[in-house]
Amino acid sequence: MLLVTSARERLGGAAAAAVTAAVGLLLVPLLVRAFADAWRAPALLPQRWGLRGFDVAFADGQTPAALVTSLAVAATSTACGLVLAWPAARVLGERRMRHPAAVFLLLAMPLLVAPYAVGVGLSEWFVRLDLSGTLPGLVLAHLTFVLPYAVLLLLSGFGPQLRGVEEMGRAAGLSPWQRLRWVTVPALRSTLAAAGLLCFLVSWSQYGTSLAIAPTRPTLPVLLLPFIGSDPQVAAALSLLFLAPAMLALAVAVRAIRSAT
Amino acid sequence: MSATLHCRGVVVAPGGTPVLRSVDLEVSAGQRAVLVGPSGAGKTTLLRAIAGLEHVREGTVELGGRRLAGIPPHRRRVSVVFQEPRLLPHLRVEDNVALPLRAAGVGRRERRARAATLLDEVGLAGLAGRTVRGLSGGEQQRVALARALCTDPELLLLDEPLAAVDPNRREALRRLIVRLQQERRVTTLIITHDRVEAAELADTLALMLEGRVVQQDEPRELFERPRSAAVARFFGATNVLRGTVRAGLLHVDGGGCVAVDGPDGLATYIIRPEAVRLDDEGGFGARVTEAAYAGTFVRLTLIRGRQRLEAHLPAGTTVAFGEEVGLCFPADRLWRLPDDEAPVSAGS
Repeated sequence: MLLVTSARERLGGAAAAAVTAAVGLLLVPLLVRAFADAWRAPALLPQRWGLRGFDVAFADGQTPAALVTSLAVAATSTACGLVLAWPAARVLGERRMRHPAAVFLLLAMPLLVAPYAVGVGLSEWFVRLDLSGTLPGLVLAHLTFVLPYAVLLLLSGFGPQLRGVEEMGRAAGLSPWQRLRWVTVPALRSTLAAAGLLCFLVSWSQYGTSLAIAPTRPTLPVLLLPFIGSDPQVAAALSLLFLAPAMLALAVAVRAIRSAT
Repeated sequence: MSATLHCRGVVVAPGGTPVLRSVDLEVSAGQRAVLVGPSGAGKTTLLRAIAGLEHVREGTVELGGRRLAGIPPHRRRVSVVFQEPRLLPHLRVEDNVALPLRAAGVGRRERRARAATLLDEVGLAGLAGRTVRGLSGGEQQRVALARALCTDPELLLLDEPLAAVDPNRREALRRLIVRLQQERRVTTLIITHDRVEAAELADTLALMLEGRVVQQDEPRELFERPRSAAVARFFGATNVLRGTVRAGLLHVDGGGCVAVDGPDGLATYIIRPEAVRLDDEGGFGARVTEAAYAGTFVRLTLIRGRQRLEAHLPAGTTVAFGEEVGLCFPADRLWRLPDDEAPVSAGS
């Protein structure tokens, strides 16, 4: 038993190292590009290092504004997504539906259609509802993609075992609020962390819908993309910003999962 | 502190299909009752209904004269130990025990003191500060038992408390349950599907079949004086002799005579396999169709016409397959089913 555990731990360690190495390999060129003020082929390293990329990116107020928009939209979408997905995930996870296949298909539908197409369709509605170009509009559009992920991830945490412990809580005299805080949320901790992280990243990296709904209020990816062709250094600098919250969220989620197991 | 439990005509139908069809059950104050029955009979549903976890459609459940309908589970003064321990893995052992006290707003110091006393009572004195993850199944169930007792309930409900425990630890846990129950005189209802376990645990034993309590009595009565053939079958009294009594002789339908006590007329008699004896002089001949050595006894399956019989004989007995033997049914071990039940059981 001890042997198996240590072998598994070693395997886990190796996997973690491999992932870190792969991420590192991808990050190094990006880092070099972001700080290369002059880099002419065929040189392996830049001729001149500097912060021109960040200077250009922050020359006007667009970048900080986009950063705030992205953060606000991603955080709100995540929170709304988890709250809205919770009851659906419970019903599906506890297998209370006789024919869940139709629900799963409906849930997966937005993921099968190109985001830009969904965005264009939604924007037609949003223009009429006066939501076009607004933060609530962006959040609603992002929820189209966040919700399926939230439901699919959360439902794995629900099931007869959690129900059994919740029932024990009921018999032991815990109020609904106490049950949620002392029983349900601690039991779902790692699932919630994983679902929250994925929801955040899905919203954070959304491009097509954001562009269709709010071209006048760019999120970070919408701001970033044109630079890839025109000025790769600015694109690289913005990419580092783009990656930062993802990395942070990943670290927080990994810590939460580790402390829960 | 304890109170009498009364269930009268309880009907429970989760999702529309009736699981309990008019259940009557009584457990006197301070008594230890066992509800036994095959799986699917509705035992757990009745326990959940008493605990307030299942909606009672008809009938009444009373505890100490109080009607429990409409009272939420935690105000019923009823504690439940489920089949699985259902502990919270992120809490220490003592905090799991004191969870109901925490919900009731008792301060931390008092909670820990009460938990320590209870853990001592269930034999886990040293484990208060441990997490529940490292505990064995038996230890976890003891923690669950301590948690159920920490509110001083009037009624303790245990749903197959020994099922999730290693077989070699069951005996100790069984003794602990009996000892705690006797010390506290708390009215207790235990569920099990094992008739031997049921007999060992019970002051009063109730058999549940297909959503009804078909007989409630002292354990010995259910084993030796069953009210119907179905009750007899569940408790292992597998030999059912039907026939007509004339002048102290039962003329069995399939042939053969057995001496019995009782009035003339149609009758059904029951005899336990361990009461059957071999007797070459005896009047009841049968052929051996199976002889199996079962460790502490030899199990014979016999046949006479369409009449199937079973006999448990001392381990040293040697009987050959196919052999014709004579059987003796001691009159004092033959039990005549009450007449009103005989026709019903004949069909089942």
